[in-house]
Amino acid sequence: MRALIAAAAGLTAALALVLTITAMGTPEGRTSPRPLLTTVPAHP
Amino acid sequence: MRRTASLVLLALAVFFAALSPLLRWYAYPRLVKVPADEYQTMVLQARDATLLDYGTMKARTVPEITVVQTLKGNVEAARRIERTAGRDVVVWDGLSYVQGPDGKMVSRIPERYIFDAHTQEPVHATGEMVDGDPVTRNGIEFKWPFLTQERDYEYFDAQARVTAPIHYEGTRHFRGLSVYYFEQTIPWTRVPFPKVMPVAGITPESVAKTGTTRWYTTVRKFWVEPVTGAPVYGEEIHKEELRGGSLLGGRDRVTVFAGHVKMREDYTRHTVDLVKSQRRLVLLVTSYLPWGFLCLGVLLLSLSLYLEARGRRTPGPAPVRTEEPEPLGS
Repeated sequence: MRALIAAAAGLTAALALVLTITAMGTPEGRTSPRPLLTTVPAHP
Repeated sequence: MRRTASLVLLALAVFFAALSPLLRWYAYPRLVKVPADEYQTMVLQARDATLLDYGTMKARTVPEITVVQTLKGNVEAARRIERTAGRDVVVWDGLSYVQGPDGKMVSRIPERYIFDAHTQEPVHATGEMVDGDPVTRNGIEFKWPFLTQERDYEYFDAQARVTAPIHYEGTRHFRGLSVYYFEQTIPWTRVPFPKVMPVAGITPESVAKTGTTRWYTTVRKFWVEPVTGAPVYGEEIHKEELRGGSLLGGRDRVTVFAGHVKMREDYTRHTVDLVKSQRRLVLLVTSYLPWGFLCLGVLLLSLSLYLEARGRRTPGPAPVRTEEPEPLGS
């Protein structure tokens, strides 16, 4: 019984971690202020 | 004490073993995506190219033609489209600016490409266009999906505004990376004149009145890093002609542009370095961490079982025998 509880705790923690990370997602950022180029850049 | 330790190890073993598939099949498709705020520039060059001199209406060889390509993620437009599309969307506003050896503009083609941030499938929304003309892409453009497969893909050609197969031609090695080589041939196709012509006073409408038409063919080559789906190198054998009408002075056709366009060396190096770093991040979620966690889970489970087995095998202290004192007798 105690082994089952331990396994369930591990599984719950894994689920909680992954769900939290995916719910947080990745930052969206902002549109770059840099222009669409009409000159040849010297370097990348 | 040993019992408690084995239970803790069991919980940790289940935690890591469960984390492995969750990370690969739940977190990866949701977290790994093209960022909406991407800004990229690319410079390509064609040496000894053929270019039409609009003054004499004759083609001449020029030492170099440069193509400057910019892709800029439009975050506000992406958010707007996401509300109706119901998925993560990337909107790339792009400009392909072609410059002659004298620094003058040869052509400038703006476009808007809208696609799913995770799968790179095109998303259709108002504003999707090439040179101001609404288009419907049915294939990828610029970038392949993450974990690219060894198969043909549908690729959108912005000049002809058509989607056609780009064929997988095998795996190659390119500057320390294993890459997939793709090739697409667009046969001679009649294409619209650019909205902005290289000569002042000439418009697509005025050229159309002469009966002259614009034709184009290309062989497009991409070396794609399969984990990120990012091309690390590209070439294009590009030809454009004007055909028929009164503009050509009785000639059947005139070359507008012909050249073998290749990525500039410094941009190739920069792209390879960038893709190598991004590749590691994608592999972390798709391979390194899932496999690492799975192995750790198995290891912890083995340790837990070992401790449990030892705990059961070890005999406890021998029972103390208490004997009744014998009665003193004769």
